[in-house]
Amino acid sequence: MTLPAALLDSIASAAVREGLADAVFTRLSTPIGRLLIVQGPRGVVRVGFEEDPEDQVLAGVAARLGPRIVGSDRELAATRDAVEAYFAGDDESLAVPVDLQLVRSDFRRAALEALRDEVGPGHVVTYGGLARKIGRPKAARAVGTACATNPVPLIVPCHRVVPGSGGVGSYGGGPDRKRRLLAHEGAILA
Amino acid sequence: MTTAALPPFWSLVEAHGAELLAHARRLTGDQHAEDVLQDAMLRALRAYPRLRHAEHLRAWLYRVTTSAAMDHHRTRRREVPTDEPPGGTAPPEYDDGAFEALIAPLPEATRAVLRLRFVDDLDYDELGARLGCSPVAARQRVSTAVRTLRKRGIPA
Repeated sequence: MTLPAALLDSIASAAVREGLADAVFTRLSTPIGRLLIVQGPRGVVRVGFEEDPEDQVLAGVAARLGPRIVGSDRELAATRDAVEAYFAGDDESLAVPVDLQLVRSDFRRAALEALRDEVGPGHVVTYGGLARKIGRPKAARAVGTACATNPVPLIVPCHRVVPGSGGVGSYGGGPDRKRRLLAHEGAILA
Repeated sequence: MTTAALPPFWSLVEAHGAELLAHARRLTGDQHAEDVLQDAMLRALRAYPRLRHAEHLRAWLYRVTTSAAMDHHRTRRREVPTDEPPGGTAPPEYDDGAFEALIAPLPEATRAVLRLRFVDDLDYDELGARLGCSPVAARQRVSTAVRTLRKRGIPA
């Protein structure tokens, strides 16, 4: 048994208004399953797939941003709208603020920032190609690690990074999801 | 880092929110329980990062909710006169039996002290005069009783 939704919303909104929330999360049903989206004051810090244990995802955010994490669909309405527009095919830019503070190294952050800024929907890039974009042409493998540990899949589009040898390659959310996302964006045939 | 082990706050709200709301309802009645719970959760959030360990969090939330309920009674008592027409004799609307239920576990002498403080809204000088003791002693009696209630605020 949980509290009435209206009361939960009211508590969460009051917490955000009074600056008492380190982060806010929302759960959103999408064609690739339920997503857990966690947002800090500067933007989305974490996206979890439905098989990622929610406790672990939130604990990881808490360790970095603080334990005052509240849940609210209402406070994250803009982000929910953007993700829903993406899946509806209305606006695939997913132009929501992102905060990469859960990324552990400057190299990985640079790779993810370049990916987000330079590889739009409908396009793909190879691991080696992304390595070249950040001026580290020999670091294709490290770029692979940056993608594999991407805390904000979908929003930083690591599904658009594919092996030079062909195929869609691996994905934190599983290759099937990667294929579905790329097909949705028209980058590959369904 | 001492706060590393604290769980994300919302997991506590989702796990214990319903029973805390029931607790607030017992202390303040249906009409105000949700406001009291919201106040309690905001108080808890303010204190949360300063907690030194992640144990007994459910019991802690019960205590915070009990405190919010006590303050709610106090605040409403102060607000009531502005709601009443001058010379009005209407019974105060807060008198819904919830305060009596809240203090029921205490001995009658202690209950009488708490009624003087929270229902009749005597300050500690007045309370001391009524009880024949110093204001400091009056304050101690009240705070001891409130502490007792907070400890008892957790159903088994």
